[in-house]
Amino acid sequence: MIRLSQARSKTLLAIHGWSAVALGLLLYAVIVTGTLAVFEDAIGVWADPMPLAPVEEIPNGTGALMADIAERIDAAYLDEVFLFSGTGEHLRALFHYHGDDGTEPAMLFLIDPAQQRVVREVEGLSPDVFRQLGVGALRDFLVDLHVNLLLPGRWGLLATGVLGFAMLVAAVSGLLIHRHLLKELFTLRRKGGLLTARDRHALAGSWNLPFAFLLSFTGAFFSFGGAIGLPAIAYVAFGGDVETVSEELLAPIMAEDDRPSPLADIDAMIQDAARRTGAEPSSLQIHHWGRADASLLVGLNNRDGELLPSAVAYAGASGEFLGLRPALGNAPSLGGDLVSLMSPLHFGNFAGIASKILWFAMGFASAYVALTGLMLWTRRRQAEPGWRWLEKLTVIVGYGLPLALLINAAVYVTRRPVPSAAFYDLLSVFLAAMALTAFYGFAQRDAARSRRGILRAMALVMLALPAARYWGGGLGWQAAISGGLPAVLTIDGLLLVSGAWLLWTQRRAPAPAMLETESEPEALKS
Amino acid sequence: MWPRWLLAGPLCFLCAFVMMAGASIWLPEGPARIDNVAIPLVLFPAVWGVLFFYSCLGRLGRTYLVVGALTVAHLILIVWQLMLRGAA
Repeated sequence: MIRLSQARSKTLLAIHGWSAVALGLLLYAVIVTGTLAVFEDAIGVWADPMPLAPVEEIPNGTGALMADIAERIDAAYLDEVFLFSGTGEHLRALFHYHGDDGTEPAMLFLIDPAQQRVVREVEGLSPDVFRQLGVGALRDFLVDLHVNLLLPGRWGLLATGVLGFAMLVAAVSGLLIHRHLLKELFTLRRKGGLLTARDRHALAGSWNLPFAFLLSFTGAFFSFGGAIGLPAIAYVAFGGDVETVSEELLAPIMAEDDRPSPLADIDAMIQDAARRTGAEPSSLQIHHWGRADASLLVGLNNRDGELLPSAVAYAGASGEFLGLRPALGNAPSLGGDLVSLMSPLHFGNFAGIASKILWFAMGFASAYVALTGLMLWTRRRQAEPGWRWLEKLTVIVGYGLPLALLINAAVYVTRRPVPSAAFYDLLSVFLAAMALTAFYGFAQRDAARSRRGILRAMALVMLALPAARYWGGGLGWQAAISGGLPAVLTIDGLLLVSGAWLLWTQRRAPAPAMLETESEPEALKS
Repeated sequence: MWPRWLLAGPLCFLCAFVMMAGASIWLPEGPARIDNVAIPLVLFPAVWGVLFFYSCLGRLGRTYLVVGALTVAHLILIVWQLMLRGAA
């Protein structure tokens, strides 16, 4: 129990409530999409499967394919080249340079690593090229909604950064105002055979506090670090040169030498990195391709029990091994380790499927806490007409958002081949679905009725999705299993089970009261 | 009430932002020459959070003084650094 004066408790109570209510619905959207994005790779495989999964993430021959691409494109794009995993076990290769006007002209290639061929290519400005690729748009849309709330430029990152900070404030103030935290962790009072809404909110919130703190802190770091942090530090410490900062953080130290020189055998360097470390190569960075000072960095998947990623550096022109180094910086350092730690802690990708399931469950609990917290707040004030719209809006966003995402998935999987404009089509469908849900929700007499209608629609879309995916030209279950793609079957199964369960729970009227107003959370009593 | 929220809202954010940029000058570079960039970036949410709660719970006059002093000190450091670069 944390002892605070009455005045301070009251202030913290106001901070906790208003930080959640003012930004709660947007925060909920970020949490829901982030929770789903924990399994973005599986969603990518489900939505954009290749007929056969590649044995290795970057198979032998990929380097030769990269060299073929490099020969036929404008040499300016060879300044910075990244190879990394794309949707559905594809690879993405980004060839780009930093323009004098601050833009990043780029060519993006989607590669089928199993068949060693380019599937699609797009030319434009980074990061817009990712939206023009088409394939992978469902996964990219989900991630974009989580990272940017679909807002343009740095505004999206700023918005999600503020939301991350609001969640941090709600978590810390929640910890301080819970007078009986230990008791809250184990309180499961029953009332009429059901746990009260207040207990469920407090229970999920109390157990979830450390995780909420972790996610909000790392999320705020990712949003603000990229949007304003790095440019500001680049301005102060490097005279505004973001490219120099990036190279300082990412690239091996090479004495500048712009004489032309071909790049050594990329495949040989990748194989060498795997042999030296025993870890699987997962990404590639090439700086100054075609110059004597070219460098190549092979990123490695974490080995069992390792939290921080590492990489192997090579001199690009000679292929000389330069050494094993951390993912950030040219030598082990506190700053590099701290930044590298942010990624596994935010994405939960450090212990295979186990950590991902845990992160998904905790994310789900965070979404539940955000939604039930808002409902408790609005139900307590339902006698005041001014708050009724917020109660309806909470239901519309709370249940309409997952419904709109499901409709997006249905639209995406029924269009094969995937059109290049798929991302923008999904944006239109998503906004239309949200608008229709809002129209439906506000037209209903009360929030409970609209909640039931939206949940029923969700159940129907869930049940229809596997069939829609198959009839849209997707893989059958047998083909998915024989192709080494269990994610297809798993997600189909989860959709069918969840849809059937949801339909069963919502089968008859009257809708259960969402929350009991007489059992308000202690945090809201003032 | 509004002086408190002005301090806890925009002024705290501004102070944390200026401290992040200014810390890249006084923090040591470290063995990899990136500590002065990476550590302020990672600590930005924490600094902002501490300043926010301090501004909400502390005595108003004193919190204005502390937040103001931190901001001004780092602003002076940034201007000095930029002038040095300009002279070079």
